[in-house]
Amino acid sequence: MLRKVICIDDDPITLKLCKKVMERVEFASEINTLQNGEEAIKQFEDYEKIDTKNAPDMVFIDLNMPVMNGWEFLDEYFKREYHKKFKTHFIVLSSTIDPKDVEKSKLYSMVVDFLSKPITKTMLEELKSKY
Amino acid sequence: MKINSNRITLIYFVILIAVVFLTQKIFTTYSLTNETNLIFTNKEIVIILLSIVLFRYFLYANEKHNKSVLNKLKKSNQDIIESKERYDIVAKATSDTIWDWKIDDDAFIWNKGIQGVFGYKKEDVGKNSNWWFERIHPEDSLKMSVRLYSFLDYKTDKWQDEYRFQCADGSYKYVIDKGFLVKDDKGKIIRMIGAIQDVTKQKEEEQRLRLLETVITKSNDAVMICGIKLNENSLPSIVFVNSAFEDMTGYKTSEAIGMPLDIIFGAKSDSKQIDLLKQKIKEYQICDIETVCYKKDNTLFWINFTMIPVTNKDGEHSHWISVQRDVTELKEKEKEREQLIRELTKNNNDLKQFSYITSHNLRAPLSNLTGLLNLIDDIPIENPDLKELIDGFSTSTHLLNETINDLVKVIIIKDNPAIEKERILIKDIFENVFNQLNFLINLHKPILKIELSEEYISNINKSYLESIFLNLMTNSIKYRSATNQLKITITSKVINEELVISFKDNGIGIDMGRNKDKIFGLYQRFHNHPDSKGLGLYLVKSQVESMGGNISVESKLGKGTTFTLNFKNI
Repeated sequence: MLRKVICIDDDPITLKLCKKVMERVEFASEINTLQNGEEAIKQFEDYEKIDTKNAPDMVFIDLNMPVMNGWEFLDEYFKREYHKKFKTHFIVLSSTIDPKDVEKSKLYSMVVDFLSKPITKTMLEELKSKY
Repeated sequence: MKINSNRITLIYFVILIAVVFLTQKIFTTYSLTNETNLIFTNKEIVIILLSIVLFRYFLYANEKHNKSVLNKLKKSNQDIIESKERYDIVAKATSDTIWDWKIDDDAFIWNKGIQGVFGYKKEDVGKNSNWWFERIHPEDSLKMSVRLYSFLDYKTDKWQDEYRFQCADGSYKYVIDKGFLVKDDKGKIIRMIGAIQDVTKQKEEEQRLRLLETVITKSNDAVMICGIKLNENSLPSIVFVNSAFEDMTGYKTSEAIGMPLDIIFGAKSDSKQIDLLKQKIKEYQICDIETVCYKKDNTLFWINFTMIPVTNKDGEHSHWISVQRDVTELKEKEKEREQLIRELTKNNNDLKQFSYITSHNLRAPLSNLTGLLNLIDDIPIENPDLKELIDGFSTSTHLLNETINDLVKVIIIKDNPAIEKERILIKDIFENVFNQLNFLINLHKPILKIELSEEYISNINKSYLESIFLNLMTNSIKYRSATNQLKITITSKVINEELVISFKDNGIGIDMGRNKDKIFGLYQRFHNHPDSKGLGLYLVKSQVESMGGNISVESKLGKGTTFTLNFKNI
């Protein structure tokens, strides 16, 4: 079981679903949710200031979000060199169909997987065994 | 001659001596006087000598006269020979055929030209005027003879006519015949002499040129001929325009000739193109330009303008020939087409974007529904009504999900012709397909006859090929016959360096007469089946074609369907 996981999505139903499925498979002891990339950046700023060890093991992030979308978040994260400071793995969880998005996600070293919605128990069990 | 006259003189002398001697003898015989001993008296000798001298003088004078006459004759004879020679040479040089017609006797004499030019043998040439008339082309002979006899009546000196004259081989030559009359002292016509000139070549050339000229004058393209002298604008002046040019520009021939080429250009003309034209004119090179031009009434039109330098027979540059065409309509269409392409490209991009967004927006809530249903699966439901409702909800959601996934695939295929491609053994594909269809196969237990060769195909996207066979296989199971057990035969072989995969079933078939053109279309459904989305075969075709292959179908209602796939890239 992972220690801490954050799900970032603007759709509350998706967030609720994620939480439910994760609870079913006992994916992580702490599951937090955020609405968009900006909120996530602020969260990581806090981790940087207060305690880097408090950062999550894994983040599920949607691409299409208001205020700051998934790509903008990843860029900002990379720019601030957070990928060097935190050991967090990122999973893109999206309903995109554009094949270019999958290719693009491979350019970010902290992104370890690209999954298509909806999240399922099988997916989570696989991830659990890997990380 | 001298010896001859001396001999005559000597004979004359002997005869004279003999006459004198005889007379004396007679006189002495019959005379009474006896003076026989004296034969010649001095007086007689003197007379004889005088007479001889006189005789000799007359002879000399006569001889002298004869000599001068002979010399004159000799000279005139020489002149005649030379003149005859000269006449023959001139006739030969001009290749004229000369005839001489003594009108009263109707005697007709030809020179050698009749043999050389027209090919007649000497013995075949006629001796009267009929022979001449008979060889004049029937279409020309009446006109010609009318003119000839009216000429003879009016007795003017010179006559000329053009007609066709028959050669020995039966062909005709165009000739110009020039004649004049010879009259006696009283003005009576005695002879007519003529010279026939063969003008066939000139005539043919004339006809050819007239033909070529009609090409220019009657051409739909405007034709302009310019001189080589350039004005201060480095453009030549017009020396000829055809009627198409008049129609195109509104300038009359009389208005155009002498004007510089500038008259058709103006402020809106493409100065770069005109500069190119000037440059090419300077270099005596062919030039092809396209620019806006001005008509006489200042309306604008697009012209396609070709300028070609021409040389005279000495190879000197003498004129410019320009062929021009009004391409306004073409230009406007071209503009319209470009505009249309721009709009279409933009629309297409907008639509593509639209389809990505819509499918994303559809997929997002749908994935939630699927996820939620997955969670419900784990919760036991006691209420049978609720269970039924949730089952229906689940079925519909999954169908919607499949449809959207298929649509998404189509969009991706259409938008990404450059898919990831690899080299695969076709056998491997089927293993995966059968695994995915395990449930259906176990349920319906079709007879599967699979004969696949050990062939590889390159440039293949594995997931596409799987999807293709998955679709075909599901179709066969879905549309199986209600009476016969389903039998599916899959074979592959190489024909003409193409891999041909045949997929055959004994299902209900498709009405080809009605649906031939629609089978691979989008949203085409041929059977009233609840699962049918009308997408499968469209997707299959798109996938096959994106890998450079093609697919065809044969089917008979109640007998079955055969799909044939061809791939070139073995």
